[in-house]
Amino acid sequence: MAFRRALDLLPKGRLWVSHFQKSPNVIGPNVTLLDWTTRTTRTTRTTRTTRALHIAAGPLAGARLLSVDELFAKRSLQEHLEKLETEYSERLRAASSEDDEPRAKRANVALLAPLVHSIRELDSKQREKAETEALLRDEDPALRELAELEYEGCLRDIQDLRQKILDLLLPEEEDDLSDLVLEVTAGVGGQEAMLFTDEVFDMYQGYARHHGWSFDILEHVASDIGQRIQSYKRMKFEAGVHRVQRVPRTEKQGRMHTSTMTVAVLPQPTEISLTINSKDLRIETKRASGAGGQHVNTTDSAVRIVHLPTGVVAECQQERSQIKNKEKAMKALRAKLYSRKLEEVTSRRYNQRKVQIGTKGRSEKIRTYNLSQDRITDHRIGLTLHDTRSFLLGEELLDQMNSSLQEFSDQEALEELLGETQRDGT
Amino acid sequence: MNNYNFPSLRINLLLIREMERLSICEHRSSGGLWGSRVVHTCSAPAIPAGRITALQAVDLWKNHFTERGVMEPDHSSLYIMAYLLGAKTVKSLEQEKLSEFLSPEKTEQMWKLCSRRLSRMPVQYVIEEWDFRDLTLKMRPPVFIPRPETEELVELMLNDLEMKPGTGIGADSQHTCLEVGCGSGAISLSLLKSLPQLKVTALDQSQDAVDLTRANTCNKLFLLNDRLQIHCLDVMKDAETVLSLCRHVSTLLLFFSYKIVFDHAALDGGKDGLKVIKQILTLAPQILSNHGRVYLEVDPRHPPLIQRWVEVNPKFRVCLFLFVRPRFCILRKEKSNKYHKLDLD
Repeated sequence: MAFRRALDLLPKGRLWVSHFQKSPNVIGPNVTLLDWTTRTTRTTRTTRTTRALHIAAGPLAGARLLSVDELFAKRSLQEHLEKLETEYSERLRAASSEDDEPRAKRANVALLAPLVHSIRELDSKQREKAETEALLRDEDPALRELAELEYEGCLRDIQDLRQKILDLLLPEEEDDLSDLVLEVTAGVGGQEAMLFTDEVFDMYQGYARHHGWSFDILEHVASDIGQRIQSYKRMKFEAGVHRVQRVPRTEKQGRMHTSTMTVAVLPQPTEISLTINSKDLRIETKRASGAGGQHVNTTDSAVRIVHLPTGVVAECQQERSQIKNKEKAMKALRAKLYSRKLEEVTSRRYNQRKVQIGTKGRSEKIRTYNLSQDRITDHRIGLTLHDTRSFLLGEELLDQMNSSLQEFSDQEALEELLGETQRDGT
Repeated sequence: MNNYNFPSLRINLLLIREMERLSICEHRSSGGLWGSRVVHTCSAPAIPAGRITALQAVDLWKNHFTERGVMEPDHSSLYIMAYLLGAKTVKSLEQEKLSEFLSPEKTEQMWKLCSRRLSRMPVQYVIEEWDFRDLTLKMRPPVFIPRPETEELVELMLNDLEMKPGTGIGADSQHTCLEVGCGSGAISLSLLKSLPQLKVTALDQSQDAVDLTRANTCNKLFLLNDRLQIHCLDVMKDAETVLSLCRHVSTLLLFFSYKIVFDHAALDGGKDGLKVIKQILTLAPQILSNHGRVYLEVDPRHPPLIQRWVEVNPKFRVCLFLFVRPRFCILRKEKSNKYHKLDLD
């Protein structure tokens, strides 16, 4: 019986990270814990316990995460929102005036509509807040009490709207919705690296289970492992080189070893977006061949597919049936080819980002796991968490780290967006 | 020496030469040698006194297989262990499970199974199962083990069947097939699984094969309404019976497994094997409906011979030829006597 684990509890599609990310993960060195209460949503009023958390003064600690209020205080954001409102009015005019291509025009309007409505709602809420503020100093205590309640309600609504606007501002990335192929490779360090690779692989499996994603093991060749998880959006931050520092089990003298492993995350394309011509493929299998009717009963049903134009290779010997191995190898090949295409396209786009989470590819050392000091540090955002044992289960701690990465990435995307606006303006 | 008439002599000959001609031992996987399940246990390593982990057992046996010249020593060891631990491949098992100590029962089983492998029994017979496409089937000597290439032949057949609308008389246009030499039932069962409307008649001259095919139909939910009929018949000797079974059935496809052909081909250069093929092709026009096809998987030397034979036998009326692989041969029955070449593209 095939040993497949498939949990499909959550529906497919985008995971709204915004609901998760209201956890006080990252705090700048000068800001106290209290500030974070303003950023929590209505549903998570209670501040999360920051279990064993501290910020390392890493190279990127300077790039701290701004609160929603700070973001909205930025002039660039205000300008951008104004610009969008103007654009919306223009599109609305264009759609109602002419008759040719009405559908396209209406589509244009529809794209911006939710954002602009939120902006307008925010404006009206701000006005409401100002009015209520005046009543707070009223002489009548009953009125004052009522006003206080109203005021608090306004503040909450404003927070929600602001967050909603931020979410709507950032364009959804096409790949965030797709499944992905995860490839884990042992790097420097020999046996120790391979052991660590296996542990990290198990961690990601745990993570997938934690989120209710289904996964499927595509390839498991020595230290190369492939896996499919349902959310590229989260897993893309895991791409890069992970470094582990520990005293290995096999070490007799108790010396500390450092080894590395690499994670590559490849979005799995839909069937339509990538066409592979079968003439470009060379499919290699262990064939029973021989003259005179001789043959060998082989159990080697491994399949290796080479894409001749690019030289990309994918293989699979996961199954006993050769045709099944062929299907899986094709899947892996497709994912690899797509990721190459994707890297070409995105490398230009993301070059400006400082943190470059999830986009720099395989060469960047992103995280260190120091087991003797029981800490895990992500170098891109300067975040350190403790309790490696729990971390390697791939549950809440990994989630925490991942969410922080997501927040930073979002903020960067926003800055980039606003930066572009400023350039256009001048 | 015509080995075919003296099977016991052939087995003795092979036993003597076992040490030298290891390749022949592998080759003789299907046939009388394994019918008696002879196991040579004298050369097996001793079972360790203490407990060992699965990985250690795998390594131990891999080394032993290598020393003794058993083919695919690593695969053999791994597949047997995976089977013992309830999985198909070791790679689908968790690392921890492999580092756990084996129970004494499991260790004993591992030794028992690996010893069988040591006597050159193919892995598929050792663990008594194997996969074919999306099915897991029981395997039992002396019935032939299906080969990976045959999976592709089935793929071809499925493509053809799916493309063609049924040409039956009734409104539901069912396809029917005849398999000659069904062996473990791999091809028939694969087709039946993928095509819910299909009906198949499977034949084999060996009672062992018929029994094994029947055993493989157990627990197969897709086999409702008696879609598979299995008979023990020899197409050379029982031609009339075969025809009576199929004549009134509008058979669309006829496929033929090459095992018989191979056995003959290996020993006499293919002449006897060709005899069986010719018999099939002679019966085919009476069994097939128009545009029905014959799918053959044969020895690589046969297709040109078959083509030539078909061309010089116009009364034969099964023509049209297609080389997809050196071993695959597809012929289509035509109404007229004209010969056209079937283009794949």
